[in-house]
Amino acid sequence: MNVPEIPTNPGPLDGVRVIDLTTWLGAYTGRLLADLGAEVIRVEPDGGVPERRRPPFTADGMSLSFVFTEVGKTSVSESEVDLEELLGTGQILLTSKGPAALRAKGLHPDDVTRRHPSLVHVSISPYGLTGPHADRPASDLTLLAAGGLLSLAGDPDREPVRPWGSQSAVVGGVHAAAATLIALLALETSGCGQTVDVSVQEAVAHSLENAVQYLDLEGLVRKRAGAGPMEAGTGLFRCADGWVYLVGGLGGRPLAWSAIVNWLEEGGIGEAAKLREDRWRQAEWRRSAEARADFRAMFERFALNRTKEDLYERGQRCGISIAPVSTPDDLLNSPQLNAQSYFRRITVGTVELMLPGPPYRFSHANVGPGAGLPERATSSVLRHERITA
Amino acid sequence: MTDALPLEGVRIADFTWVGAGPFLTKPLADHGADVIKVESRTRTDPIRSMAPFRDGEPGPDRSGYFANRNTSKRSVCIDLKHPEGREIALELIARSDVVADNFTPGTMHRLGLGYDTVKKIRPDIIYIEMPMQGNAGPHRDFGGYGLAIAAAGGLLGLSGYPDRPPVGTGTNYPDHVPNPLHAAIAVLAALRNRRRTGRGEYIELAQLESTVNVVGPALLAASAGHRVERAGNDDPVAAPHGVYPCRDEDSWCAIGVFDDRQWQALTRVLGAPAWTARPDFTDAAARHRARRELDKVLSAETSAWDATKLADALADAGVPASPVRNTDDLLHRDPQLRAREHWVQLDHPVMGPSVYDGIPYRLSRTPGRLRAPAPLLGADSRSVCLDLLGIDEKTYARLAREGVVG
Repeated sequence: MNVPEIPTNPGPLDGVRVIDLTTWLGAYTGRLLADLGAEVIRVEPDGGVPERRRPPFTADGMSLSFVFTEVGKTSVSESEVDLEELLGTGQILLTSKGPAALRAKGLHPDDVTRRHPSLVHVSISPYGLTGPHADRPASDLTLLAAGGLLSLAGDPDREPVRPWGSQSAVVGGVHAAAATLIALLALETSGCGQTVDVSVQEAVAHSLENAVQYLDLEGLVRKRAGAGPMEAGTGLFRCADGWVYLVGGLGGRPLAWSAIVNWLEEGGIGEAAKLREDRWRQAEWRRSAEARADFRAMFERFALNRTKEDLYERGQRCGISIAPVSTPDDLLNSPQLNAQSYFRRITVGTVELMLPGPPYRFSHANVGPGAGLPERATSSVLRHERITA
Repeated sequence: MTDALPLEGVRIADFTWVGAGPFLTKPLADHGADVIKVESRTRTDPIRSMAPFRDGEPGPDRSGYFANRNTSKRSVCIDLKHPEGREIALELIARSDVVADNFTPGTMHRLGLGYDTVKKIRPDIIYIEMPMQGNAGPHRDFGGYGLAIAAAGGLLGLSGYPDRPPVGTGTNYPDHVPNPLHAAIAVLAALRNRRRTGRGEYIELAQLESTVNVVGPALLAASAGHRVERAGNDDPVAAPHGVYPCRDEDSWCAIGVFDDRQWQALTRVLGAPAWTARPDFTDAAARHRARRELDKVLSAETSAWDATKLADALADAGVPASPVRNTDDLLHRDPQLRAREHWVQLDHPVMGPSVYDGIPYRLSRTPGRLRAPAPLLGADSRSVCLDLLGIDEKTYARLAREGVVG
């Protein structure tokens, strides 16, 4: 089997120093930069940032969401360093509070970039540094509401519902990391720092698929509509150990339909023969409640004794667009991810954990937690010598 | 502030199409990179035929879904299966810093444009591919439409109401957030590395692997022995925490109360109704235990409020709150987005003035901007072939006649 190897060249951000003063909202950006080989120094108040106390925890009491965002960073406490001096040695400062809170600590970008003209201050904040809402308190849920993603998510007969985790921090974090690197390229060309003003509300509003254009071009306000289009053969189907997601049709047109029908028949669903009738190729019928219920009954009878993994492997090999609705445990055991050596084993305190690998593989540079040096793979943020959880 | 864009001088031979790939090259184009979108006239980018369309009328140059992802780019049409088309593509690559594609594994190789070929003519090329599963492994050739990546990657299964089947985000989230932006980060980091070391890079972004990172903490928790499941709008600490119904039809306010100070502020804004003094709501831990009951009584209260007024009052009092904004609110009524001039109107030659998503960040000294609306199919074939690749008029005319370019 082809197991990818991690190259030994230093990461692409080798030699870059990042000072990370973020909250939960901005922490993923520093993690991405650390994976790429930057030295990311988190400066914490004595006793640690509040994110260390967010459940769930390891048996040692370390916050698992904190572990995810801090792997590969180093940590110092406020009282041990002169922050101003440290800022003078770095190329990038990351913060994630609103302008008034930053101003109160002398850390508003206007002040910071005046004191440190060759520093890039990446200010990730809930609503951006300007505007009437700039200093509003915010949480993941309220930012997903303010940026519009919640209006698209959920069943029509229930309240809008958020995706798992703190996705506003992911959305803001990835845009902020891209912006940071653009500013770093400018810094290394000109020697000049600058402010990067990232609004998480805007980053969320940038993630609405085609919804804004639907309103502009066709006058239609998209609303939450469950788990996708209503068409026979497409959607979530129950199986022996959970759910699979099948796409047997798109836009009213069947997709790999005969493969699906053959598969059902071979699986003992004799009734599936009727799916070959002409009307199953017609959009109107395919979208009818009767057709959807009919297909569902057949497919779920077929899937009742079959597992997600089995349906995935067999369906895909027949050219059918089917995917397991994976749980975290499924992913930890995924044949694909494990064949690709995706997970990194890390030790936090006395606990061994499986960490998802970085989002990308570089053929010629070492990328990933701690940039591959085992002693840096966990990082001092997650050791207990200075700050305990 | 100057007019110089920070990525000026970077050229990208962009073979990406549909969803995730074009959103990788868009931020680079908006910050000055010369992104040349290589398209096919016979097999047009499927997203050019995806709704919405100007006035609801389909056409390859009328899709808002396509337009929004392809600002500031140029478009050339090349028949990559034609030997001369392949030569032209290689000429373009020879003058580019980055090659990007999101085809199924092996496609670029079959077209004679694989990394091994390209690095012979451009040893320092940065070459990024975005296969769904990866270039190797037992599921290498597995594909899928729609929510397949969100499902296989774990986000779909974890998102939704605990008492119902998963529901997800209502969008193809991996195509809009993690996959294109992780890819942009990788390309930018590789550009930085090349400047210092002269080394090019081959980057593989497996969309499955990238997507798993958005639920990364859930995998760590599972590996620590926790059971991680759909939690609706619950928070592990805060209560009340949810989306509460307001006065108008289908209007909602998102509220999160994380500590006693915020609880007292909420109580004050609501006019201290009697239930707020109940002993089961006395401290944060108690409120979290009684959160279902708390949701019920709070919903009865919020139902009398206008969502925006309630959010304004709560936010002013220090409680995280926001109305659930739909696209109409975002485009027309959000004072913050208006003050930040988030939405951008560009005059498209076929679609007319149309709304594009703004860049969600501003660089104070070297800001990006949406330099141009999405290109018409093949709009720049001639100028790229003549001015950039140095093909002469006569040859171009022949190639265009034969359908190789244009």
